[in-house]
Amino acid sequence: MSIRFHRLGKSEEDKAAMSRRMFLMTTTMAGVTTNAMLGGTAFAASDVLTQAQSTSLLRMVQDIYPHPDILQLSHYQAIATTVMNNAEANEDMAKGLTDGLDQIDAKAQELHGVPYVEIEDPDAREGLLRHFQHEGFFQGVRWTAYFGIYDNKDVWPLLGYEGSSAEHGGYIDRGFSDITFVPEGPTLEERLADVQS
Amino acid sequence: MTQFDLNDDSVVVIIGSGAGGGTLANELAQKGIKSVVLEAGKRFDLSDIENDEWAMFQKISWLDKRYSGGGWHGAVNHPTLPAWIVKGYGGSTIHWAGVALLFKDFEFKTRTNYGAIEGANVEDWPIDLEEMTPWYEKAELKMGVTGKTTGMPHLPWNNGFRVLAEGCRRTGRSDYRSGPMAINSVDRDDRPACQQIGFCMQGCAIGAKWSTMYTELPRAEDTGKCEIRTDAMVLKIEHDETGKASAVVYADKDGNQFRQKARVVCVAGNSIESPRMLLNSASSMFPDGLANSSGQVGKNYMNHTTGGVYAVLPEKVHMYRGTSVAGVVGDEVYHDPARGFSGGYYLEFLSLGLPFMAAFLEPGNTGWGRSVTRALEGYDRMSGVWVLGEDLAQERNAITLHDSEVDQHGLPVPIISKTPHNNDYEMTAHMYETTAQIYESVGATDVYELPAYPATHNMGTNRMHADPTKGVVNAYGQSHDIDNLFVSDGSQFTSSAACNPTLTIVALAIRQAEYIAQEMNAQNI
Ligand SMILES: Cc1cc2nc3c(=O)[nH]c(=O)nc-3n(C[C@H](O)[C@H](O)[C@H](O)COP(=O)(O)OP(=O)(O)OC[C@H]3O[C@@H](n4cnc5c(N)ncnc54)[C@H](O)[C@@H]3O)c2cc1C
Ligand code: SF4
Repeated sequence: MSIRFHRLGKSEEDKAAMSRRMFLMTTTMAGVTTNAMLGGTAFAASDVLTQAQSTSLLRMVQDIYPHPDILQLSHYQAIATTVMNNAEANEDMAKGLTDGLDQIDAKAQELHGVPYVEIEDPDAREGLLRHFQHEGFFQGVRWTAYFGIYDNKDVWPLLGYEGSSAEHGGYIDRGFSDITFVPEGPTLEERLADVQS
Repeated sequence: MTQFDLNDDSVVVIIGSGAGGGTLANELAQKGIKSVVLEAGKRFDLSDIENDEWAMFQKISWLDKRYSGGGWHGAVNHPTLPAWIVKGYGGSTIHWAGVALLFKDFEFKTRTNYGAIEGANVEDWPIDLEEMTPWYEKAELKMGVTGKTTGMPHLPWNNGFRVLAEGCRRTGRSDYRSGPMAINSVDRDDRPACQQIGFCMQGCAIGAKWSTMYTELPRAEDTGKCEIRTDAMVLKIEHDETGKASAVVYADKDGNQFRQKARVVCVAGNSIESPRMLLNSASSMFPDGLANSSGQVGKNYMNHTTGGVYAVLPEKVHMYRGTSVAGVVGDEVYHDPARGFSGGYYLEFLSLGLPFMAAFLEPGNTGWGRSVTRALEGYDRMSGVWVLGEDLAQERNAITLHDSEVDQHGLPVPIISKTPHNNDYEMTAHMYETTAQIYESVGATDVYELPAYPATHNMGTNRMHADPTKGVVNAYGQSHDIDNLFVSDGSQFTSSAACNPTLTIVALAIRQAEYIAQEMNAQNI
């Protein structure tokens, strides 16, 4: 069936103005989600993970949500610590995590001949992790990282989000309409005329 | 506060305190008609409102067990969250964004205007725009909707909407404005003007946006004619030997059960729980559930054909500053089969906070990695829309009961099935293309297309029809089978139209209150 637009055909200039359009959702597999909330503890040694596993976990958290220019290592360490603390409190989770990290390393050896943390190309590391993205342990780490970054009030300003505004009287006097690259909206008089004509 | 006796069989029992139930309760109360509102959730007030997306979601959402089914992506990516609905005093009018659009004339008569569509179950409403216009006006005045009826100007334009509006202008569109919204742009009706706080969908912290939580419900209680019981989950509607509704059985938060007698029962639990209640109330006289001689209870579930589009602009936008849905584009709301689909759609500017953007940009297991973080690093340069269009009724899209799993009250868990029609795929492609063109005209560098969110607009599962074999209720929301049983929420909708449903739900509730009063006076019910 044809789709018609009430817009003129594309000129060369328009084609040059085309944006990159993306539909990011790629696969649909049944998922595990956890809402593990974060404690703000520092990266510490763990009773359940070996040193090598801890290092892998830290690398994994960074590869899941890489923001190398925006986040500090300490942000990722806090997330890895939360994952380890959760695992320490739950035997099944600990087993899932340690087995999972071992499987990642085994797959890394199989595909790249080195442990996961020694793969240099970030795309290759992401590609490796994609093999595990439907596993419970992976999604557990992923959602912990999600909450630790995107639901973390300390991180919000780094990503340009200001959070709660009611206590500051909203944005009415704080830039709700302050951009300059497009025209201003109608004035109050114009908006009144629009509804009273 | 007024209290009615459980054995008082002169009261109207209203189930649910949201847009439909809350409005109906206040309208009846103002006419002196006694009612008991049973609300499954807690009592909330303005002090419960926080500017925090997940905190509010956790605090007020309906999180009882539910399953997503059918062919939409949510059956996999949102397996236990088919819909986003509030459980509490005020219902989903706490979360709602405030867009208050009315149906177009052709949208009431979809069967006549679209014809029979293969795979769909499209029908005409037994009412039309002319009949509804005075009720829409009453609803606009009640809710305080910006626009001609109230004379309240539409809201000032925020950054995110200014970008969208400029794109509309550059692509030759003309129908884009910052309303109609049920949000005060000036102080009105004892509520303040909007302060551009944002977080409208987490509840308006100052009450500038209409919600039954601080308008209809307390006003109904103030008359002394209405008792609102919270933490009161209705399990079953009972009937007498003549087949009339006679009582409602509910459980309090500790699981203690009570039976409230009733003269009239009005169901307003939103379009998943309302049919579920009717199905769960099956008896030997009504083995398929109450009011279900047509077999249409729970069928024809509609939740709009939707998606999201977020564009990254060359400069900062800070779209989260100010009203969450700051403007509406109506140019695409017309029916022209040459577009490849029936019905029309709106583009509504919608800001998401960073937490929700990061969760919904790419929902499901795959939403991580460099493509996601790269997109999120453009968060403060984004403007975007929620696109929503007509969703055709289909019998297979339905609320059904799980055959073995039960919830905390022992009731079968509902399964909410939604499989898009070809019409939806055609329309969605058109929506994405149109929106991308608009944003490209203002210099967007990246445009992200998001799949449907868990449904916020839920409709059609107890639909109106003039013919009792094709619908559950008549033109007043009165069930065809049981005269004193009414449906008072969006489950009455025969078609979804392109627009957000709440203004129509409120208009129908005001009209229904008038009808109930008349029928009670005439001793017909
Ligand atoms: C985030 C969000 C944004 C939205 N934005 C808009 C918008 O901009 N414009 C618009 O028009 N609409 C919007 N909506 C939709 C709007 O909120 C709903 O259409 C409207 O509130 C539905 O009214 P209702 O009376 O059918 O149900 P609700 O308002 O959902 O109320 C139903 C109530 O019934 C209660 N209940 C259910 N079952 C039982 C039971 N068994 N016993 C007792 N109580 C029960 C529930 O707890 C709930 O409180 C939005 C919704 C959401 C979630
Ligand atoms: S933007 Fe306006 S309506 Fe929305 S929450 Fe803030 S004050 Fe309320």
